[in-house]
Amino acid sequence: MHPEITRIQTMLEAQGYVADQSLATSVYLAIQLRKPLLIEGAAGVGKTEVAKVMARALDTDLIRLQCYEGLDATTSLYEWNYQRQLLHIRLQEKSDLPLEVREREIFSEPFLLKRPLLAAITHDKAPVLLVDEADRADEEWEAFLLEVLSDWQVTIPEIGTIKAKHVPYVVLTSNRTRELGDALRRRCLYLWIDYPAFDKELAIVRRKVPAINEHLAEQIAAFMQFVRKTKLDKTPGIAETLDWSAALIALHRDHLDEDAIAQTLGVLFKQRDDAERVRTQWLDHLLGSVRSLDREPRPWTQDAIDRVADRASPRP
Amino acid sequence: MSAPTRRYGDLTSHVVAFCRRLRLHGLPVGPREAADALRGLSAVDVGDRRECYLALRTVLTSRKDDLPAFDRVFEEFWNPPQPEGDHGPQAPKPLDGAGDGSQPPPALMEWLDEALQTQGEESMPAYSPVEALTQKDFSAFTAEELNEVTRLVIAIARRVATRLSRRTRSAQRSARVDLRRTIRHSLRRGGEIIDLAYRRRKIQKTRVVLLADVSGSMDLYSRFLIQFIYALQHALGQVETLVFSTSLTRITEAMSEDDLRQALDEVARRVPDWSGGTKIGASLRTFLDRYGVALLTPRTVVIVISDGWDTGDIEILEAAMADLRRRIGRVIWLNPLLGSPGYEPICQGMRAALPYVDVFASAHNLESLRQLEKHLAVRRR
Repeated sequence: MHPEITRIQTMLEAQGYVADQSLATSVYLAIQLRKPLLIEGAAGVGKTEVAKVMARALDTDLIRLQCYEGLDATTSLYEWNYQRQLLHIRLQEKSDLPLEVREREIFSEPFLLKRPLLAAITHDKAPVLLVDEADRADEEWEAFLLEVLSDWQVTIPEIGTIKAKHVPYVVLTSNRTRELGDALRRRCLYLWIDYPAFDKELAIVRRKVPAINEHLAEQIAAFMQFVRKTKLDKTPGIAETLDWSAALIALHRDHLDEDAIAQTLGVLFKQRDDAERVRTQWLDHLLGSVRSLDREPRPWTQDAIDRVADRASPRP
Repeated sequence: MSAPTRRYGDLTSHVVAFCRRLRLHGLPVGPREAADALRGLSAVDVGDRRECYLALRTVLTSRKDDLPAFDRVFEEFWNPPQPEGDHGPQAPKPLDGAGDGSQPPPALMEWLDEALQTQGEESMPAYSPVEALTQKDFSAFTAEELNEVTRLVIAIARRVATRLSRRTRSAQRSARVDLRRTIRHSLRRGGEIIDLAYRRRKIQKTRVVLLADVSGSMDLYSRFLIQFIYALQHALGQVETLVFSTSLTRITEAMSEDDLRQALDEVARRVPDWSGGTKIGASLRTFLDRYGVALLTPRTVVIVISDGWDTGDIEILEAAMADLRRRIGRVIWLNPLLGSPGYEPICQGMRAALPYVDVFASAHNLESLRQLEKHLAVRRR
């Protein structure tokens, strides 16, 4: 492996992120080629986390722009500090300055409120700009973002054009509630993050929930693999795995059984239908799978897990 | 040093050949991407196969759907069927200083552009991805016919679209004060705020998902319907278009091409199973699994255009329809056969689907398309 990629992987690991080589390579190239990195994947697989960890690893600031339906250029770029402007106007009421001068005064930088995009551009050190859930913003805003990403400069009518001091590192995430446009995609490097495999998830549980005992950690990671093979409305992600692990520990459980799961089902399944379906239809089957895996030699492999799952696939 | 230059050239031609193959498999790879691929490769250890794979993947793919094709082409490229001496990048040498993350020289860009344009037969992969399936040519359209129908259909679609958005606008009265403009106006009056400037909420358009059957039994109508889909897409903006017969293909992007003829060519190219059998249930299932989360909300209207002749499992169709109905605002089923006198929806597929359909209408002529308008607005449930 390229020493630099190894270094990035180590850095990500040091920040508590279990990074595989593909993630490290994408982050490395995003830094090297200075291209935005578009990360897609199901909810709860740690997309946002990448940007946070990247900022810490690069020892720079993270500027986050949370997208939502209706987000417009103003809210993401800059706004005038209206209260301050009003106050200033009042204070200047008696002054003899011509109107133009007064107007220029209140539309100058001290009255400017920087929103994430402008903040990222004018930052002293190249920051990491996280455009979170870019799919939630609408197409017009996407076009606007594309413009900013290509020119790295913005124009404020009252002040003029502001050019980026340092081009930020950009990470975009998307849950695919709307397909992002081709133009934006083509500007970015691309990384798809899938649900983690057994080994990776086990490593994450151990890392993030240090208090957990080995056997329970293994059972949890395996259970999650089985759960994700069932058809649910909302497949639980890593965030749910971690919450669940913490909940089990809080209840002083050291292994999975019917009681333990029934008590904590709500942590894992955020939709009533899913929780109900698991309780009534699949719980026996899932637990059975974990028990038969318990009889397999350790360390468990993904192969062994897939085999066990195949042997007793649940009736839909 | 002359050696590095030569090696650089080798790597470049490999990358270009690789990019060209990706393009043949439908990935949007142009000269810019090829140049980035080169820059990317020069930043990693070219001797390490996995690293090359990961680097090229992150640079050259841009959506999840690209990944399988990329993997296939990459596999083919590294393990070509007939290894031929120096034809294949089994052991590209590491290159020194070929590019350190800086922009490639413009001459290289030009060359890449040219190289990508030429469709070199000799370096094409041995098989075509759609070879087993029939590929239908759209040149059967006569020019006059095409223009006439298109004009009418576009006119209808525009009118439908405008009226739809107007209706939404009057329904939403909420306005927010636009402080920026208010303050600006107030300056003229010495900072006294007299008029408030308002900012209107964005119009929330209905999202329309079109699922068009292009199987043999629908072939007669599909040409006509594609025109309508195409026109509606331009007028509404928020339309997703998918076509299905035995399998499902998303053609939203292809349908956005400005030139209609180009768009139709694109569909013909991208829909490998044009005029095959129909598996409506399985296609719907695929649609729900792959695009459901992304496309379906209570504001969504799904329009299915099909005659309901399903050669697959009817139970799958029924379950898929139930699922679909639960997740969206309205299901409209357009069945061109409904236009023919004496037709009763008695075929199994249609019967299974009907309980979950809100609007069942025909789509056999322009008049029936006009009727569509009143069904497109969604009431909140």
